[in-house]
Amino acid sequence: MNFAAAKATLWGVLVTAALAVLIIAGSRNLAHFDAALVGYTFASLFAVFGITYRYAIWLQRPPTEMYWRRGWQVFLDRRYLARNLREWVKRLISMFALNNFIMRRGRRRWLAHWLIMWGCVIAAMITFPLVFGWIHFATPPGDFEHYRVYVFGFPTITFAVDGFGGFMLFHGLVWASLLVIPGVMIAMHRRMRDHGAGAVQQFGEDFLPLILLFAISVTGLMLTASYTWMRGYAYDFLAILHAITVIFTLLWLPFGKLFHIFQRPAQLGVTFYRDIGALGEQARCVRCDDEYASKMHVEDLIEVEQKLGYRYAIADDPARHYQRVCPRCRRSMLAIAQGRLWDRARGHGDSGGTGDIADLLGGDKEE
Amino acid sequence: MAQGPDTLKVNERFGPHRGYASGTRLASNIEPDRVVNTHCCFCGQQCGIQLKVKDNEVVGFEPWYEFPFNRGMLCPKGVKRYLQGSHPDRLLHALQRDPAAPGGFRATEYDAAVRVAADAIARIQTEHGNDAFAVLTGASLTTEKAYLMGKFARVCLRTANIDYNGRLCMVSAAAGNKLAFGIDRAANPWSDILKAEVIWISGANVAECAPITTEYVWQARDNGARIIVVDPRITPMARTCDLFLPVKPGRDVALFNGILQLMIEHDWLDHDFIEKHTAGFEKLAEHVSTWTPARTSRISGVPEKSIRQAAEWWGQAKTSFLMHARGIEHHSHGVQNVLGAINIVLASGRIGRENCGYATITGQGNGQGGREHGQKCDQLPGARDIANPEHRAHIAQVWGVEPDDLPGRGVDAYEIIRKIDRGEIRGLLSICFNPIVSLPDNNFVRRALEKLDFFVSIDFFLNETARHADIVLPGSLHEEDEGTVTQTEGRVIKINKAIDCPGEARQDWRIIQDIAAALGRPHGLAFSSPREIFDELRVASRGGVADYSGITYEKIEKQYGVFWPCPSDDHPGTPRLFEPGAWNPIATGAGPFYFPDGRARFNVAEYTPPTEDVDQEYPVILTTGRVVSQFLSGTQTRRIGPLVDQYPEPRIEMHPQLAESLGVQDGDWVTAESRRGDCTLRAMVVTTIRPDTVFIPYHWPGRKSANQLTISAQDPISKIPEYKVCAVRLRKAEHAPEYAEQLEPQQG
Amino acid sequence: MAVPENMDFFIDPSRCIGCQACVQACGECDTHKGHSMIHLEYVDRAQSTQTAPVICMHCHSPTCAEVCPADAIKRSADGVVQSARKPHCIACSNCVLACPFGVPKMKVELELMMKCDMCYDRTSVGKKPMCASVCPSQALFFGTHEEIEALRPQAQSINRFRFGEQVVTTRVHMMVPESRPEYVDVTAAMEAGPTGRRIALSVIGTSPRTGE
Repeated sequence: MNFAAAKATLWGVLVTAALAVLIIAGSRNLAHFDAALVGYTFASLFAVFGITYRYAIWLQRPPTEMYWRRGWQVFLDRRYLARNLREWVKRLISMFALNNFIMRRGRRRWLAHWLIMWGCVIAAMITFPLVFGWIHFATPPGDFEHYRVYVFGFPTITFAVDGFGGFMLFHGLVWASLLVIPGVMIAMHRRMRDHGAGAVQQFGEDFLPLILLFAISVTGLMLTASYTWMRGYAYDFLAILHAITVIFTLLWLPFGKLFHIFQRPAQLGVTFYRDIGALGEQARCVRCDDEYASKMHVEDLIEVEQKLGYRYAIADDPARHYQRVCPRCRRSMLAIAQGRLWDRARGHGDSGGTGDIADLLGGDKEE
Repeated sequence: MAQGPDTLKVNERFGPHRGYASGTRLASNIEPDRVVNTHCCFCGQQCGIQLKVKDNEVVGFEPWYEFPFNRGMLCPKGVKRYLQGSHPDRLLHALQRDPAAPGGFRATEYDAAVRVAADAIARIQTEHGNDAFAVLTGASLTTEKAYLMGKFARVCLRTANIDYNGRLCMVSAAAGNKLAFGIDRAANPWSDILKAEVIWISGANVAECAPITTEYVWQARDNGARIIVVDPRITPMARTCDLFLPVKPGRDVALFNGILQLMIEHDWLDHDFIEKHTAGFEKLAEHVSTWTPARTSRISGVPEKSIRQAAEWWGQAKTSFLMHARGIEHHSHGVQNVLGAINIVLASGRIGRENCGYATITGQGNGQGGREHGQKCDQLPGARDIANPEHRAHIAQVWGVEPDDLPGRGVDAYEIIRKIDRGEIRGLLSICFNPIVSLPDNNFVRRALEKLDFFVSIDFFLNETARHADIVLPGSLHEEDEGTVTQTEGRVIKINKAIDCPGEARQDWRIIQDIAAALGRPHGLAFSSPREIFDELRVASRGGVADYSGITYEKIEKQYGVFWPCPSDDHPGTPRLFEPGAWNPIATGAGPFYFPDGRARFNVAEYTPPTEDVDQEYPVILTTGRVVSQFLSGTQTRRIGPLVDQYPEPRIEMHPQLAESLGVQDGDWVTAESRRGDCTLRAMVVTTIRPDTVFIPYHWPGRKSANQLTISAQDPISKIPEYKVCAVRLRKAEHAPEYAEQLEPQQG
Repeated sequence: MAVPENMDFFIDPSRCIGCQACVQACGECDTHKGHSMIHLEYVDRAQSTQTAPVICMHCHSPTCAEVCPADAIKRSADGVVQSARKPHCIACSNCVLACPFGVPKMKVELELMMKCDMCYDRTSVGKKPMCASVCPSQALFFGTHEEIEALRPQAQSINRFRFGEQVVTTRVHMMVPESRPEYVDVTAAMEAGPTGRRIALSVIGTSPRTGE
């Protein structure tokens, strides 16, 4: 096991252990822990280990490590902190709550993602605290009309058993699945019809997560249907089926597409890196002298590339590292480099030198 | 001159607005209802393209890899051509001029509009004679429509005055070819370019005006060819060619004469060929003897050493292909330039054989077919001469009229404008022509058109000329009709209908027939399909030089086009002219060329300076041309957003030396002024143009129009205007022109 | 579905005429409809009409993917470096700045990098990419080695490029003269201006002459 993996394993163990402690503490020594949900709990613990492990490995990759470090650095920079916090709230809403950037990629795509995302967020907020025993409901002594919510064993709000609030709360997972199902269907429909998506999509990467979310939602709804309208018909079977779908998803979480849930917040860090970079000194192309990126970004990238083993430095002139050439000039240089080979082959003279018409004119330059 | 509120209001209602892909056209999940094999609607290359159709809308394209000319290749215009359909500017109703209405026109019922037009035509012809009503047509029409327009003018209107915008385009080449070869068509298919040893390109910005030809030239070079480019600008092809001759605009014939002189001096001649298959060489040889390299260099502006090099390569080649385009043709001596080019081809004997070719690169989509079947003022179908009694008799018989009832020669397109100005022509029908943008000295053109008693225009968008019309009838887009087109090689190809006309718009040939019916003169104008028109055209062309009688829609489809002449059903067509044994109704076996003796003619090509040369007052040469993303007067391409974005507005291209003398930097506003008008544009300062010359692309109207400056001098034989040379003076503009703030880039 | 092994992309910028057919056609492909991914620029329009068409070269070991902090760029088994995976890309622009060929494009409004994917919807089913289909100069050519060798007897293909000390090999090939170098030395073009015939038209007099 190499160092990175060892470090990641350690982080995984630590975070998983921390969760275990929280479960024990939050459920008051498992007093409020529902033994029927133990499968979910262990799957969650595994998922947390896996996600932490992968996250830690990910953070140790040179580019990620650089962004992680710089992202916090620029965010917490005292000069910009107030601004950053304001922007952070704004971006949290526009990027994460509203998914505006996905809207710009396509309306159907946005609708699918937004429905699935909020369905999953709601479901997660309900499921995990219940599974971990962090929340439980009890009727206050002598009051059968109300429920009281206990969080980490501490009593909080009460609400009427038959009231609207109670109805909404107890059916929270139903609402969540009613968001997820249409979202999944839109996404599936798009994947089946769109030629572009069709060319690059893969079953494991693109269909499996949709199928899993669909399965969780549908089996969940069937459970509700069973106890609400069918007097618990096949309830046990459905409960096991539902558990299987959820547990499989939890176990798969660190490996597949859904891991983007955990990577995605990095997008926020990037926006601050971009903002602060734009406020600072700009890199000028060593060839055309135009500004093309923030100097911080270019220099950071040079460091990252060195760590990755790239050798874009120009040996005889380190100041003119190839990364200090702007992308536009790189494209031109490629054409020029090839054009020079052809010039030489066709005897068009050394390009960049003086022209052949001048030679030709030689003796008969016009008056 | 400020933009009048009128222009702005018309722009607002009728455009040009920029159309972009949206909705279905941007969706990536569309299964088209059908995919139609057809061709591009723009230039003379007529690239094959497949249009994807969904719900009666062209939603995109797919390369047509099987079509042999372009094998899927397209230029940016072809790629985005599909955006001309479903356009917000599309005319969906007939329009009647109404100054009170927004944009100056109100929509009117189609039949009523046709009625108004017919009544006006009848009134003008009764009061002022048949010739007082003129017809202007275009070479972007299918051959069927071109044929119908000629017939409509001669049989229904009985006016001599019909001419077309090919007058602005290939007529010098046509006239030169007829004088030298007796036939007007590219002598070779483009496949003969591929194995030629030397490719000579004169006055053709191939990369921008005939982009697909580029691949043929490059492939020839891969096979070892040397490329010679003659142009006042270092065009994209000139950049890497083997020899570049930076000719001074208007001096091409001097260069050709000088080359021929060197060929004679070094005996780089095909004596056998000259002896057996040509006439007139001695006289020509005597004429060019004065064109020494020194004199040629002095006049043409090309270094003597380059002239010698070119002559050596050209003279010693075993195979070759010479092509030219408007660069040598748009001159008051355009025919002479063309004859000069043909002379060096004939002297080399390299024609009528594999890999030995000569061609003009056609400009307009149907530049070739559109000039063969009777919409030229002096011509009847089958490339027949309207002044020739035998030809008249043949066509009169096909049309079921008396030969004497056919009008005689009319005047050329510019002369029609002059006649309008003089009050001799009082009424005009215009289709597929936008003279206010495309004719030289267009301020004069506009003033003339304002004098018309009645003007009816047929178009799918309200082009700048149609703004002056009394009645506008909504015509059809390329993809809304079928028919044939003859592309640059002489290959007859088939345009297929992809969608139906929207709204009240209808196919142009139906509109013409509706007018004829409303006039009460429907004789011979009651076709029910383009195929019927084509079948009559085949009969009409039978026995003519441009013989289409053996061509059918089915044969075109099967063979990916049929090269005319194709005189019978079992004839495969004639890709290469002047081959031994090739069908030739004129020489009938006497020789390969289309004269009774079968011999090609050497013609003395006289050098004369341009009509308006530079002087102290107007010291700079102005030359005009195209950019790759726009086409002709821009009626279509200035409405296609991505093409507008590629080159939004005209710029005046000049050498840094000239710019420096004016105190001008790249991007500055510069006023160019000629004796006829002025124009303020941004400068584009580049070393790729002669320092004594400036270039302006001509696709824009109004205050951005290069043709405000150009001269209406014409070639005495072909009547082509001299777009390529006039004299201007330049000054740095003190401030941006008013239009800069008022108009979108594509508007003028 | 994968791009057939024997089908390759061959580019020859020296043939390019700058017409932008590729740029216009690029956005017509279904994997990036409405977004043109190809680059086409004048090298130095004041001096020359030379243009540089640049598509993704599909490196064997893509720098863009290595510097991506979000694992968003993947190279599929057929050697095509795919556009950023949408759920992963965090729009950091590392790839844009790192790519030695200057290929990726940052679509800030979409929080997404997009790049040429060789029109994967087309090439993965055996069709030609849009740009190479339409290119009127065939500066962009898609086909087999046998085809290109037959068509261009004076040229050979090469897929190694040097930037600084780094040599990069790519799936896309570039056409060079027969005297095939070991690699195309891109850094060596640092100081060079446009290529092609450098024709000094300024030596032609500007004084007006009335001719004969």
